Amino acid sequence: MGGNESIPTREAGQDDLYNEVSDQYGSALERLARAYEANSERRRDLIQEIHFQLWRSFQRYDARCSLRTWVYRVGHNVATSHVLRERRILSRLVSLEDLEQLPDAANPLQAEDRGGDLERLSRLIQQLKPIDRQVIVSYLEDMDAAAIGEITGLSPANVATRIHRIKNILARRFQQGGHHAR
Amino acid sequence: MHDDSFGNDPKTLWQNQPAEVSKMTLKLIRMKARELHAKTRRELFGSIAVALAAIVFSGLGLARGEDLAMQLVFVIAIVWALTGQYFLHSGMWSSTLPPDAALSAGIEFCRHELERRRRIFRRVLWLSAGPLLLAIGAFTMPIVAAGIRLDRGLSGKTIPFLALLGLWLVALLYFRSQGRRELEREIIELNDVEK
Repeated sequence: MGGNESIPTREAGQDDLYNEVSDQYGSALERLARAYEANSERRRDLIQEIHFQLWRSFQRYDARCSLRTWVYRVGHNVATSHVLRERRILSRLVSLEDLEQLPDAANPLQAEDRGGDLERLSRLIQQLKPIDRQVIVSYLEDMDAAAIGEITGLSPANVATRIHRIKNILARRFQQGGHHAR
Repeated sequence: MHDDSFGNDPKTLWQNQPAEVSKMTLKLIRMKARELHAKTRRELFGSIAVALAAIVFSGLGLARGEDLAMQLVFVIAIVWALTGQYFLHSGMWSSTLPPDAALSAGIEFCRHELERRRRIFRRVLWLSAGPLLLAIGAFTMPIVAAGIRLDRGLSGKTIPFLALLGLWLVALLYFRSQGRRELEREIIELNDVEK
């Protein structure tokens, strides 16, 4: 997935633009929704909400930023709003820093987890505060620090620190099963 | 069942996860738009219900024809409830995202959402629950006062009602303040992220 795709002109219809983006980023948006919602029914609603807001947002698309940045911003912002609505969940979320310092045994989700690697990875992401989720999802989508900074609004140094933490956490959590996080 | 073992690294695992949802079509999108409008209407009715309760209590109080001061309190509660609804719904009580959501980077949007929710918390308490509490208070005060004046104490029917009312009030204030503190903490943490 590259950031240098052709940018449609403003004249392109809202529906055409949406169809194009839906084809190109549909799977990525599903993955994004998985990072924010564990329940499959609610995740389906969230995906629909993201698509709806994306379609709506194209009334205002002016190519000020790349289409990819636009799509991810809408996706993350809708999903963040979804998380913030759930106050009970909000109070339990942790930052990357907290997660890095937390011993694996002290992490109840990790200890109880009997699912596959994807399930473990999803649960790990779903524990994080929204801004850290944005960074880890962007990292897992193979974006560079500049693209992550553009989506999240964090400074390059801040993004670099967070990516470093993410690598540490992933390596520590997933190497235990004999797997290696790069 | 698909095989989701790592094979190589988390990025590959994440990017190759199986698709779950069928493709969204424009027809579905338009259906979603209608659902969203219906949801916003439901939220509006939910909020109006509190104001209506305040107006009903005040109306009953006015109809009972107590002294002038009490009637003035009921009128204030009605005016408060009506103006409260006007301010609550003037562009801040919407389940949709702001139209420029895509123009905001993640951290900026996050802060904006937290601050918006904190504002809603404050306003709902003052503009929606406030007049209801005033109306209930004004409505029940004469009953309590009469009981005390006639030296009968509170009757068996009044005590459970007042106790429930008190519990509801304490719970409302507790959960509201807890929610507001949580949001304030999140905003502070978000500001720290940028340092």
